[in-house]
Amino acid sequence: MENDGRRKFLGVCLAGATAAAAVAAAYPVFRYLTPKSGQTGTGKLVLSASELPEGEAKFFEYAGASAVLVRTKTGELVALSAVCTHLGCIVQWVKEKQHFLCPCHAGLFSTDGTVLSGPPPKPLVKIPLTLTEGKITIG
Amino acid sequence: MLKRLYRWVDLRIGAGEIVEKELTGYLLPRNINEWYSLGSVLLVIFVLQIVTGMLLMVYYVPDADKAFKSVTFIMNEVPYGWLIRLCHAVGSNMMVAVLILHMLSTLVMGSYKSPRELNWLTGFILLTLVQGISLTGYLAPWSQLSFWATTVATNSANAIPVIGPDLVEFLRGGKLVGAPTLGRFFALHVSVLPVVITALIGAHLFILKRTGISTPPFGASETDKPWRTDSYHYQSHPGGIPFFPNYALQDLTSICIYFAIFLAVVFFAPNLPFTPDAFVPADPFKTPAHIKPEWYFLANYQILKIFPSELLGLSVQAIAMTFLALLPLIDRSPERHPMRRPLFLICTVAGILLWIGLTVWGHFS
Repeated sequence: MENDGRRKFLGVCLAGATAAAAVAAAYPVFRYLTPKSGQTGTGKLVLSASELPEGEAKFFEYAGASAVLVRTKTGELVALSAVCTHLGCIVQWVKEKQHFLCPCHAGLFSTDGTVLSGPPPKPLVKIPLTLTEGKITIG
Repeated sequence: MLKRLYRWVDLRIGAGEIVEKELTGYLLPRNINEWYSLGSVLLVIFVLQIVTGMLLMVYYVPDADKAFKSVTFIMNEVPYGWLIRLCHAVGSNMMVAVLILHMLSTLVMGSYKSPRELNWLTGFILLTLVQGISLTGYLAPWSQLSFWATTVATNSANAIPVIGPDLVEFLRGGKLVGAPTLGRFFALHVSVLPVVITALIGAHLFILKRTGISTPPFGASETDKPWRTDSYHYQSHPGGIPFFPNYALQDLTSICIYFAIFLAVVFFAPNLPFTPDAFVPADPFKTPAHIKPEWYFLANYQILKIFPSELLGLSVQAIAMTFLALLPLIDRSPERHPMRRPLFLICTVAGILLWIGLTVWGHFS
């Protein structure tokens, strides 16, 4: 009986030590594989307003993902996430029709990100921007 | 809970039968010693090398222009990248060291003798393949050390008559070590050699299971029946100790001792596998002074230096390696106790001292 107690105690100790060793080995591996936090930050991005004529769109990387800046035919500037809200494909700018098309499942978005048709459940995420002295600051 | 899960699995695949046959009912000689656990230690090291190698491939770029930078990135920027890389670098050295110890114990205990010739041979091929995988991995960081050590190592094939120069060019993928060398060495290091080594480990274990484990020549032996050559039979050990839990505990103890030494090097002597040239990017126009191969090639390196002709040096090494590989076919006496084999003992001790002497000489020359 006493032996059983000792065995159980040693078994628990061994299991505990094994679990601790497994955690000690798994933690560095997890940290090693985790993306660096700086890569998904939301820093500001400055673009020259002259780079973008009316009716055109410019794609760029923002906060670790794809984004797009569009100047509508009325001259309005809009910055949007270029990631389709359906399954994460990158939308394309259709200049002739002045809208965004997701080539994966034909989701259509207007220049302000609103869903026009197709399966996307939500509009494209808007990114704040300011225009001062011919410089567009995104974020 | 665990018992219920085990019963669930047992009902479907007969796990209990496997446990009985391979673990609790797998009997080993009563006088088995610690040296027999080195095979299990080697298996653990190999698995660790595979895992750390896979992790390194996440960030390592096998491109001559980017390789050094990617290794520096792993060491300095990636969280715990230094740990993964050091485990891989130190582990490769430890694998060769433990493999040599495993073979030495087999040699001293005469376990290579009939009927275990195939086990010795597969083990010997595994030693050369492990040296090969270490050599090909040595180039990966694309440092001055990697570059020039590979230049020297591949250049030694030049001494082979007729095909030597073509062979060197084939090995390097060009006249000199360069980007094509890194490409082919990387492919060998991460795909060809690991697959071949895994297959050979499988063959080594299969042969071990079919022949049965040898009885150590020391201590009280329960089976002294000599091996008969007329028909196949498995060498069993009736009345022996079960592999599980008895010897599994010894395996675990040896693995723990190994980890203590391995982690001591990783944490307290991390620069042991490196020389200052390992921290400088490869420069094909600047040969560093005193470039030396890894410690396990130092004896071979020194032999090439001693002999007036490289061909002679290579031939001596080839003869020595062939002799060792075919030792079970040359040494056919059934006696296995080293103290009752004075000639063998003298040759073995002299051979080990010669190898150590050449290694030390190679290091300081």
